[in-house]
Amino acid sequence: MAAAGNVGAIAPTAQRHVLWLRAAIIVVVLAVWEAVAASGLLFRDVVPSLAVIGKAIGRLLATPDFYRNLSITAAEIAGALLIGGLAGVVVGIAIGANRFLARAYESFIYYLGPTPKIIFFPIMIMWFGVGPGSKVAMGVLSCFFPIAVSAAGGMREIDKVLIRVGRSFRVTAWQMVSKIYLPAMRAPIVNGIRLGLGVAIIGTLLAETKLSNRGLGYLIIQAYSVFDMPRMYALLTVLFVLSIGVNALIGRLATPGRRGVD
Amino acid sequence: MASSTVPRTTVVRSSAQPGGREEHALEVENIVKRFETAEGTVTAVDGFSLSVAPGEFLSVIGPSGCGKSTLFNIIGGLMGGYEGRVTVSGETISGTHPAIGMVFQEESTFPWRTVIENVAFPLEIIGMDKRARQMRARHFIAMVGLDGFELRFPSELSGGMRQRVSIARTLASEPRILLMDEPFAALDEQTRLLLGDKVLQIQQDLRQTTLLITHNITEAVQLSDRVLVMTYRPGRLKRVVKIDLPHPRDSEVISSDAFGRYVAEIWHDLRVEASLGMHEDESRARNEKSKR
Repeated sequence: MAAAGNVGAIAPTAQRHVLWLRAAIIVVVLAVWEAVAASGLLFRDVVPSLAVIGKAIGRLLATPDFYRNLSITAAEIAGALLIGGLAGVVVGIAIGANRFLARAYESFIYYLGPTPKIIFFPIMIMWFGVGPGSKVAMGVLSCFFPIAVSAAGGMREIDKVLIRVGRSFRVTAWQMVSKIYLPAMRAPIVNGIRLGLGVAIIGTLLAETKLSNRGLGYLIIQAYSVFDMPRMYALLTVLFVLSIGVNALIGRLATPGRRGVD
Repeated sequence: MASSTVPRTTVVRSSAQPGGREEHALEVENIVKRFETAEGTVTAVDGFSLSVAPGEFLSVIGPSGCGKSTLFNIIGGLMGGYEGRVTVSGETISGTHPAIGMVFQEESTFPWRTVIENVAFPLEIIGMDKRARQMRARHFIAMVGLDGFELRFPSELSGGMRQRVSIARTLASEPRILLMDEPFAALDEQTRLLLGDKVLQIQQDLRQTTLLITHNITEAVQLSDRVLVMTYRPGRLKRVVKIDLPHPRDSEVISSDAFGRYVAEIWHDLRVEASLGMHEDESRARNEKSKR
């Protein structure tokens, strides 16, 4: 076998099998979908054929309206990630560095973290209105927790001798954070941001589908309310592909080449 | 050596003080350090004193558990809550002090920084501009024999090379006193000997006042002008051994009878202390076993 030496990697033939399996599951899902659509078992408009959905995607991608709403949603998510990420990193470092703060507040973060944030949506609407403000707030609420938890964990895993080296060279508090904590925590922070991005997308879109006047979630729920199923499926498909793309992109950042942090 | 390109701004070279009496680069007086543990108060260091003359290489040797590392942390200013006094050129210090440069036992290079960025770290901290600190870092990298590796990351170097980076980094801060805690502990014997040679040669070239904490007898005799032997817990001064061997301490010196006598002499003292420590560990382990 060709698997000699490199532990963890798999042989090229096995790699090819993996690709085949991946393609197969997609083909099977699409085939079942098409079969159901053609059989007429379900109401035809609920499960439109692939060709109809494909045409709807084409139409969708040709309208400027789609791009306007896409950019609104993207801006909401980016804003949420920026605010929630900064807050999460700051809180995570504080909790990871200080045992008293950790004992006082860490349980809050662990218990609030998995709580469905959508229950705060009515409050966010009252505070920030029906527009993008309340969506950003929902995104922030969603991504703050995983980022704070990752940052706190990363902070605790810093090699203590590096902190002692910093102290022996008499670094200031800010130098300690910028020149030792943050570079040492790069991997856990990027990982936290990746988890945070996932839930920020969920939080923001969920909020948009509940009550909004712009954004992709709004377009989806609008398509649903006028029963334009092909358009709705088109939106869902595009969203799906975009999410995968963004996640893959951030995953790249988390695993730099063999240089740097290992 | 390119030492003329980088002026060393230390004042230690002159051994005379304004008052006229002999100056000590570093003086440690009557240090007592106690720790509160679950089993009561443990006295780690009990009334330990030492003084290092300018340009001297002094080693403190003792068995495991004699409070060597405690002493290291107190002198380096990383540990407080002790009785006694630490003075640098007559000035009492508390906390970290720029005159004292520490080299740690553990792997302590920054893995995200290249060799040159690691060595320039203390200069970056004090706000030296990039060109100047890179120049100075190169000087110290060359001094520890790592020229050509400036742009490598620590993960691409061997353990001995990484420890040389740490030493160069501390030297780059130009401390009046170089304070090292078992810097060769993690290395294999041959690397340890070679690196010891290198450090001694640098120490001689710079007339660098050095205090080495170690448990390795050969290393202490090879490098030092004087060796202080510590007792097992609580750590007290047991004996001072002056090492009257010529420099450079090449293989001829190291294989000489005199060298062997120093090693034997120190081992004779240390043996009692080390076996005390071993017995205490054994009885503690036995007690813990009977408790279960």
